[in-house]
Amino acid sequence: MTTEAYLQRAGEILAPFAKGTNNPESNRLDVQIAASDLPAAASALTDASWGYLAAITGMDHGAEANELEALYHFCEGSAVTTLRVRLPRVDCPEIPSVSGMIPVASFFERELGEMLGVTVVDTPDASRLFLPDDWPDRVYPLRQGFKPEQAASIQPNKTPEPSKAGNKFIVPIGPQHPALKEPGHFEFTVDGEIITGARMRLGYVHRGIEKATEERNWIQNLYLLERICGICSHTHTSAYSQGVEKLAQVEVPHRALAIRELVAGLERIHSHLLWLGVVAHEAGFDTLFMYSWRDRETVMNLLEELTGNRVNYSICVLGGVKHDIVAEHSASIHKALDFLEERIRYYLDIVTSDTTFLQRTRGVGTMTHAEAIRFGALGPTARASGVTRDIRLDAPYGAYKRFPVSLITDERGDLEARFVVRMKELLVTCFTIRTIVDNMPSGEIAVRFPRKIPAGETVSRVEAPRGEAFYYIKSGGGESPLRLHIRTPSLCNWTSVINKAVGHQLADAPMLIAGMDPCFSCNDRMVTVRRKDDMKTLSWSELREYGIKKYGQKK
Amino acid sequence: MKIGSMLKDVLISFFSAPITEKYPFERPETADRFRGKLFYDPAKCTGCNLCSKDCPAKALEIVVIDRAAKRFVARYDMDKCVYCAQCIQSCKFKCIGMSNEDWELAALTKELFTVTYGKEEDIARLLEGNALPNAEPIKAG
Ligand code: SF4
Ligand code: SF4
Repeated sequence: MTTEAYLQRAGEILAPFAKGTNNPESNRLDVQIAASDLPAAASALTDASWGYLAAITGMDHGAEANELEALYHFCEGSAVTTLRVRLPRVDCPEIPSVSGMIPVASFFERELGEMLGVTVVDTPDASRLFLPDDWPDRVYPLRQGFKPEQAASIQPNKTPEPSKAGNKFIVPIGPQHPALKEPGHFEFTVDGEIITGARMRLGYVHRGIEKATEERNWIQNLYLLERICGICSHTHTSAYSQGVEKLAQVEVPHRALAIRELVAGLERIHSHLLWLGVVAHEAGFDTLFMYSWRDRETVMNLLEELTGNRVNYSICVLGGVKHDIVAEHSASIHKALDFLEERIRYYLDIVTSDTTFLQRTRGVGTMTHAEAIRFGALGPTARASGVTRDIRLDAPYGAYKRFPVSLITDERGDLEARFVVRMKELLVTCFTIRTIVDNMPSGEIAVRFPRKIPAGETVSRVEAPRGEAFYYIKSGGGESPLRLHIRTPSLCNWTSVINKAVGHQLADAPMLIAGMDPCFSCNDRMVTVRRKDDMKTLSWSELREYGIKKYGQKK
Repeated sequence: MKIGSMLKDVLISFFSAPITEKYPFERPETADRFRGKLFYDPAKCTGCNLCSKDCPAKALEIVVIDRAAKRFVARYDMDKCVYCAQCIQSCKFKCIGMSNEDWELAALTKELFTVTYGKEEDIARLLEGNALPNAEPIKAG
């Protein structure tokens, strides 16, 4: 189906609820609906298998308009249908939850609640996701008129409510852990070795970037957004530039777009190799970890040569790129790719043939195609379950029409499949990079760009190494954005991990979490067994005996 | 299915030289485009301050002492700079560059991170706080 056909179909599905529709851009349909119609409208789209919920953007239109607005963006191919719900600008306006039919919405709703002070009725978990536990109540950072001083009146020693476990054990993991730099907190409810429930808490590195963009000019924001993630910095600068360029109606030269795609390809190689090492390390396969990271240096050095830095390449500028790729670069790119291709093939062979390693990956964390769709998985995590979802192909942006990639999927859905998909994807990426280098379009690498961007709003989506990154950008005609909303792929992939962990052994949790490519932690070794009312502390040998008795000799 | 699948790699590495760089004993070569310390040439500058306006880190400011006589002082804070090179991009007159040699910038005191470029007498005047009568006020980037 074409984009127009998709949008027409969405219009038909939503007709019973629509209070007004318009097409702000050729690939977008905005439908105004009443808050009470939201669950019905969302389930109409889901039942008709029209796309997936990509993000919920909350907005405050200020005291004058006296309105808040929640935007539910659904995407199918390059078509974006937005359900727009207006809410009164009072302390806690109510909006019904859609998490029942769309599990991933739970995270978006938690964000909407804490950032804008919207009460999401019947959402499964209304606790804080990003804001600190000691953040003062009823202070909403994304409301207009918020002053950072308001957050200073924090009660410093307020500790979070302990989770009430009843007679269950909760194994807390994180937020600090030696395995990776990023902090995240998980609570696994376990019955013996088996996980029966999981919960998570993020926000330890929440820096309020969305809010900060409103105070910087369009150019300064490029470098702020680049720092969202050190691994996929180029994803953010290219998604942002692409959106702002669309708003400014500036045509970016083909050569610049090709260079952006080339750098995105190199970034994917370094990101996937980094991931390969991390997961190998979690599985105790440190040889693979060391060698994959050694080889990753090749691509890091190449990035330094082309862009001037190993991380935060800063190659994008609004209207093009900073540096050209010339003949001498082509030679070093081909040389580096020769080596990398050989190594990637070798690693693909290792992860599919090493007996010990396969015991940790084959059949572990299997997610079926239907589950991946239901949980809203993205990127390689989804493609390893046979979901054909890749923004580079579904909604080709930049130079991806001219230099397409081929889709890699795997039907098995387990951890092994995620390795296979990522490694094969790298081989495809290497091929595409070679094609770009050999067929580089001629011309300028950047065009002049205005300082003020015409009023309007746009949606920009790119495929990051971990899946789709979603940007919503609104300009009021000035030198800074009015609102910028970012949804990164990991947020969506968490839903699947949290749900899939149930039923697995606790020892699989590190692999499951690392398998989707975020971060991970270690466990405490002291175990307290609580039996009804008496508390008993087991020594290591007692625990061992207890375990052997419970699971038999085998496990 | 096999066991010890990476043994060959391990053996090869065992008999070859380590790939670790011997820094600081041997200084690695950096790429031409590498972004190190910023340098500034007042001769070409017009004092338009576009560079400092777009600096995301407020690390750079150009103080105009006398526009006609091309007397400018640049104050650059190495510790605030994020080495993004936007200033180079924003400057239409190519007054700013970044060194690919000068990248060992660690220092023991904060003062050493603030660098000033310009004529020595202008810098001295500025530091004493008595800029020339026609000097423009210092604007934050
Ligand atoms: S490199 Fe970037 S941060 Fe440093 S002075 Fe220039 S614009 Fe500012
Ligand atoms: S942009 Fe260039 S010319 Fe303008 S003040 Fe900065 S260095 Fe001088």
